[in-house]
Amino acid sequence: MSTVEGTGTDTPDAGLPTATRWQDPGAQPAASGSAPPRPRAGTSARTVDALREIVDWEHGLVAPAIHFDEEVYRVEAERVFDRAWLVVGHEDMVRKPGDYITNYMGEVPVIVVRDAQGEIRVLVNKCSHRGNQVCLFDRGNVKGFTCSYHGWSFGLDGALTGAPMEQMLYRGELDKAAWGLEPVAQVVNFHGLLFATFDRSAPAFESWLDADARWWLENFVLSTPLGGLEMLPGWHRYRSPGNWKLVCENFIGDDYHVYSATHVSWLAMIQDFMEQGVRIPIITYPGTTDGPMYEGSAGGNGRGAPMGMGMVVADNDSLFKRDLAEAQELGPEAVDWVEYRREKLLELAQGRPVKPYSFMNGLVYPNMALMGFFSPMLGRHFQMFHPRGPVEHECWQWTMVERDAPQVVKDLAVQRVYQGQHGAGVIAPDDVENFERMVEAGKPARSWRRPFHYGLQLGHEDEGPKGLPGNLGPNPSEVNQRQFYRFWLEMMERS
Amino acid sequence: MTTSVNWELKREVEDFLYREAHILDEHRLEDWLDLFTEDAEYLVPLREYVQGDVAPAGHPVIKDDKQMLTVRVRKDATGYSHVETPVSMTCHLISNVVVDEGPEPDEVEVLSAFTVRQARKLRDEAWWAGRRRDRLRRVDGGWKIARREVHLDATVLPRGIAIFF
Repeated sequence: MSTVEGTGTDTPDAGLPTATRWQDPGAQPAASGSAPPRPRAGTSARTVDALREIVDWEHGLVAPAIHFDEEVYRVEAERVFDRAWLVVGHEDMVRKPGDYITNYMGEVPVIVVRDAQGEIRVLVNKCSHRGNQVCLFDRGNVKGFTCSYHGWSFGLDGALTGAPMEQMLYRGELDKAAWGLEPVAQVVNFHGLLFATFDRSAPAFESWLDADARWWLENFVLSTPLGGLEMLPGWHRYRSPGNWKLVCENFIGDDYHVYSATHVSWLAMIQDFMEQGVRIPIITYPGTTDGPMYEGSAGGNGRGAPMGMGMVVADNDSLFKRDLAEAQELGPEAVDWVEYRREKLLELAQGRPVKPYSFMNGLVYPNMALMGFFSPMLGRHFQMFHPRGPVEHECWQWTMVERDAPQVVKDLAVQRVYQGQHGAGVIAPDDVENFERMVEAGKPARSWRRPFHYGLQLGHEDEGPKGLPGNLGPNPSEVNQRQFYRFWLEMMERS
Repeated sequence: MTTSVNWELKREVEDFLYREAHILDEHRLEDWLDLFTEDAEYLVPLREYVQGDVAPAGHPVIKDDKQMLTVRVRKDATGYSHVETPVSMTCHLISNVVVDEGPEPDEVEVLSAFTVRQARKLRDEAWWAGRRRDRLRRVDGGWKIARREVHLDATVLPRGIAIFF
């Protein structure tokens, strides 16, 4: 690890003294309170050799070089996306043998398919002969995949089943067993959510995502005790400027931006229309609640991949009462459901000093974001942020509702969630706009080494109620951003 | 394909759509809302490829009544709507207009194609194209939009939707 100093000749601020902490790793943290570090002189040294220095998560200081540098992006593809367990879809997308969807793992196109034996496979969408894509569609049902270039054919399990004029041209010497589609090394079905990794020697899924994170995922994301989730068909996708990590850190823990600036137009509008007595789904959106909310964290801290949850509602009945009031307008079935699920959630927390009800937003490292988990009256977006070069990403999302909820609840939940944090809603486009501005301001390399401030609640992370898996702390917070970059750094440093 | 065209009606409907396009491009959004009936529906489905065919990608990305459409317009009027600060410059080009009888005597079904260029700030831009299927209703001697389906030719949106089609 080199401690990089600028040459002093290549940047306009070469004459300025460099911030003390860069020369002295033992110096006091700069994020909380004291003056911001000065722009670093010199960017000629490789960012990838200086990651430990510029990703100083312990002090809440992370430099934007990691969001712009092309070499970081290339190394990241190998060390993060080729090694992580990535979400590739949900089993509801591939119910019957032959059903498939296409998706990406990082920038690698993959096919998620249920084979003839009913097993879910993840295959690289690339012909083994000349590298042509073998599947062109978003979803469908097939008996196999045939390449459009020379016609090599593959079974649902990826095995090479035939090549045109095989006997005549290859004279029986083509080793078909060796020339199937590349299977993604490991696939896990976690209560319906499909994870895959390219890395044969990746840690088992259970140690990648530790027990605390799995507890939240099983119970509060996938709602397994409530009967699970039901998939709504269709990918909704949009392109956006900004490195994938910028949007992921937004979902893993940035509730600061919601009420402080980014979404105030939405909040102001809700207020206005409420006062006029308008009661349409987006206006009565359950986006806030009285009483305390917490920042939830699981994993991380040296215990596998981090999962963050924003606006965790626990020991606070106000949101439940609000859901109940809304259910009363929808009818007795809805009331029964809201009361039933509350009982189930209390059972789940039996023997625990804290009773969680829900959370709003979250992220499972590296790139599966969660939105709308606050209330049964809100649909649930699962959003994958796929990298598309250092300063661009694509959001791929699907939506689910609680399977056993009455239809009136589902209808409302669906209508409402598309009106909000969605590419065509009144919330997400304001986030996209911020990323566009960050890219415009951040492209010049001269300021890449000046760290951003991730100091919110630094040193106060544990000041929440105890007794649940993971940790609850004050909200808003940047604890989960710090954990995100900590784990990212660990992956980037593993050669 | 033989069909008798009511040229008078076609010219009238085209004129309505062109005037509407100018209202949008002049960012007179409250005037634009006035062009919709009180029971109007405004839908934007997205597309995906299902085994070679272009199919709707599940729930429309926008499925608004007039109140929700009003919410979108008023959000920009709060002064805090970052995605429209500064305001987008748009150019709506409307063509391929075909007018047919509607389900009610005072209604017509109108197909049209559009290209919309959205420009923002110094160099951010998006191109949108697709077809619209409108149901126009004659109200007090003029036309109003009772239903609009916007079929964007996109599987991946080029940016978040914060303008109107």
